[in-house]
Amino acid sequence: MQKSTIPFFLINCFLALILVSCGSVSKNYTPKKLDKTTYEAPYFSDSKTDYVYKANITVYGNELSGIFIAKKINDTTHRVVFTTEFGNKLLDFEISETSFKINSIVSELDRKILINTLKEDFRLLLKKDYLIQEQFENESNDIYKSKDGKRDNYLYVSKKEEKLDKIIHTSKRKEKITLIFSSENNIFAEKIQIIHQNINLKIELNYFKPEENTSN
Amino acid sequence: MKTKIALLILFISGSLLAQEQKMSAAEIAAFKEDVNVVSKKIKTLSTDFVQYKHLDFLSKDIETSGKMNFKEPNLLQWQYKKPYNYSIVFKNGKILINDEGKKSAVDIGNSKIFARINKLIIGSVSGNMFDDKEFTISYFKLKGQNLAKFIPKDATLKKYIKQIELTFDKEEATVVQVKLLESSEDYTRIVLKNKVINAKIDDSVFSN
Repeated sequence: MQKSTIPFFLINCFLALILVSCGSVSKNYTPKKLDKTTYEAPYFSDSKTDYVYKANITVYGNELSGIFIAKKINDTTHRVVFTTEFGNKLLDFEISETSFKINSIVSELDRKILINTLKEDFRLLLKKDYLIQEQFENESNDIYKSKDGKRDNYLYVSKKEEKLDKIIHTSKRKEKITLIFSSENNIFAEKIQIIHQNINLKIELNYFKPEENTSN
Repeated sequence: MKTKIALLILFISGSLLAQEQKMSAAEIAAFKEDVNVVSKKIKTLSTDFVQYKHLDFLSKDIETSGKMNFKEPNLLQWQYKKPYNYSIVFKNGKILINDEGKKSAVDIGNSKIFARINKLIIGSVSGNMFDDKEFTISYFKLKGQNLAKFIPKDATLKKYIKQIELTFDKEEATVVQVKLLESSEDYTRIVLKNKVINAKIDDSVFSN
């Protein structure tokens, strides 16, 4: 129940940020003929699954942790809740590619800059359908380029196991956000890292292994 | 036929109500006295717990579990062991966190909200939080158990917790379940098990 006070002032760090560093996208990859025009990201697409992760957020050297919960509630929309370890809700919203609705937010987190950052991150994380315009390859991955408004997403799919390993969200010249997935079966990601290149923010999600014996 | 249905509804609702019966003034006084006697004797307390986070849109509650240690006057450790190791210690105006070996400390000084939270956790576990200034309290009888419902009066606290429900074992007058309601649909339910009162707990437990 202590939720609120504990990590909240760390959040102020979110407010102090927004510095732009350069991380130019050096695409030394070999262009390749398109082998598909659409791609479906698998990791948050099942409406029957409760996606529950331990979340660790590092922002300018400060740590914030809690539980990240996502569930697909209809064809287009996910419900996302972030709680403390004690279960207190910090943030509860519904997000699709075109809509965003906050159900509840603690006042300490209610900052436009933070909300917009998280909205962008989670929209990318939960996005399922990609239209592919170009394709590249390197030694280990097929790389699909998909337009995302004025920006682009590069999807790295391993050649060997056809798993989605990584998504890089870029502006024309710079990498903005990188998502790295670790998955055993390409259905479910056990570990996810969300790394920002232009601000010092990293979100790490580790899947909750469900308890075998749910006694009461 | 209609009468039969009406009777059936009456019977069903009657039996539902019977599960949670309001206490009389005399019963409330006796119950509070029992709890106060027990909680006054508590110098240390350790208990296993299982936490069920219920969110209405999920198909299953999120289950975490671990151990809680308390030592008078205000040392408190709340330690999750499954499915991850996460421990939080409240000690001398500080919160010490150990998250899978990653340690951090937060100085909260003389924060009033901290004092209140600390008191709330200890009160929840020991059962002694019958403070009419802080809460609007109602009392109920269940089968073999007593139930007290606390609605915070403080606006800040109320933003986070709509209601706290403590379930007591009738015989032992100790808390067996804590339920924190955020809204009508979403709550955290903590079941306390294997409670040990006044065993020796070394101070080093609270160093995190």
